Amino acid sequence: MNDERQDRWEQLLDLLAEGVAERLRSEPRSGDAFRRIPRPADEVTPPLEAEPTRFTAPESTAQREDKIEDEPTVKPEPSEPESEPIVEPSLPAPPAHTARLLGRMALGLLALVIVINIPINRHGTTLATAMPDRRALVIRDGLVVKEDDGPEIYVYDDGAFRWISSLKAFEMRGYTWKDVHVVEDGFLEDYEIGPPIHVILKCPDSPHIYRVEGEEKRWIVDIEAFEAEGYVWEDVRIVSCALLRQLPDGETIPPGQGPPPRP
Amino acid sequence: MNNLSIIETILRDRKTFFLEIREGKGLAHKMRAMLISSAAFFALYGAVMGSSHSLWQALGSAAKLPLLFLATLIVCAPTLYFFNLNFGSNQSLSQNVALMLTTITVTSVLLLSFAPVVTFFLLTTSHYQFFKLLNVGVFAISGLVGVTFLSHGMQVVSYGGSERVAARRTVVWLWIVLYAFVGSQMAWTLRPFVGAPGLPFELFRQLGGNFYANILASFGEILGFVTVR
Repeated sequence: MNDERQDRWEQLLDLLAEGVAERLRSEPRSGDAFRRIPRPADEVTPPLEAEPTRFTAPESTAQREDKIEDEPTVKPEPSEPESEPIVEPSLPAPPAHTARLLGRMALGLLALVIVINIPINRHGTTLATAMPDRRALVIRDGLVVKEDDGPEIYVYDDGAFRWISSLKAFEMRGYTWKDVHVVEDGFLEDYEIGPPIHVILKCPDSPHIYRVEGEEKRWIVDIEAFEAEGYVWEDVRIVSCALLRQLPDGETIPPGQGPPPRP
Repeated sequence: MNNLSIIETILRDRKTFFLEIREGKGLAHKMRAMLISSAAFFALYGAVMGSSHSLWQALGSAAKLPLLFLATLIVCAPTLYFFNLNFGSNQSLSQNVALMLTTITVTSVLLLSFAPVVTFFLLTTSHYQFFKLLNVGVFAISGLVGVTFLSHGMQVVSYGGSERVAARRTVVWLWIVLYAFVGSQMAWTLRPFVGAPGLPFELFRQLGGNFYANILASFGEILGFVTVR
């Protein structure tokens, strides 16, 4: 009775082992097979794992040995599903923040550029250009500067800074206050100072020529003095006699030639 | 925002991006997105540079900086394409241009990331030569990283005999030197980008001098040896 029961039991086990081996063989990858086996099937495997003790029994046939040879491929596999998810290549994509961040950064920068270019005073100074000019200047012809504590305005012309002797000369050269770069005291000490720039004025109703310096007009007494100062006729600007008369008289050129005539 | 998402792909998943270029997937879309996003970033950086002078200079530089990189690409693209072709490459011109646009896009993103730093120095210093050299340094770093992407991209995109691959790699690095030379001369031609203080706004300055002499002179002035006039 016991032998019959044992034979039946062994036959049942053989059938079960064959079924499992068949199924494993039919799968392309045994690891995948284990991964794809649903839970209920997994529940069948514990008896299978328990089986090797029985398959190594002395009464094993050639067929059984084949099944036992299959066992090592079966046995380590169940451990794979535990390690497999770690090296799973299809990881979820990282959150897409970069595009949004770049967009926001670009918008913020645009706003910043606008803000630093808004004029903050009547001279048109902006935040971006508000720093003192001293070290920022590129010395080129036409550069207009004024030292911080001095009223004189200079223009860089042909390798030297030249004093613009009057507001009239400043205006007649087409400069505006926006062109003037305020520099630190002593800035001009590093540079050559050239002859000053004067404006030579004459009015239509008078033959006399005057040179404007600061707020005064200085009469150039004759053509020799005019030429001696290095002027040519093209330097003379024609203005109204009323304007000339408004300017107070200064010393004549050359000095000591008596009171100047009325323009 | 859609155009910007391509930058995320380039920065995070460049291998896939280069493989798609190799297979010619969505080249037109990629190129358009890179062109738009890089032009926008260059324009912003240009505006920051020009702000040191005036609003007009900011607008002028915002228009000129994208033009600088686009013109450099147009000038240099045929060289890269035909040299690669000569050394056994089977890439199309579009693929080459897409790779170059990748370089330019990466450069533009890095420039944008440097923009806050440059703005900070713009607001807190006034030394023209320093500001100019700061920008040259920023462009050099960004450009170098950009061309490194190109080199990497070329390795992924090109395939063929191993000896040809080595030759093409040399070609790419020689082309990068050419790209730097053309780019610097193009920048010199399209100057000013910063705008010299004391000078009125000018969209283009008269030709003369060269980029390298000017950079050396700027270093000289910073170190106190010469005055740039």
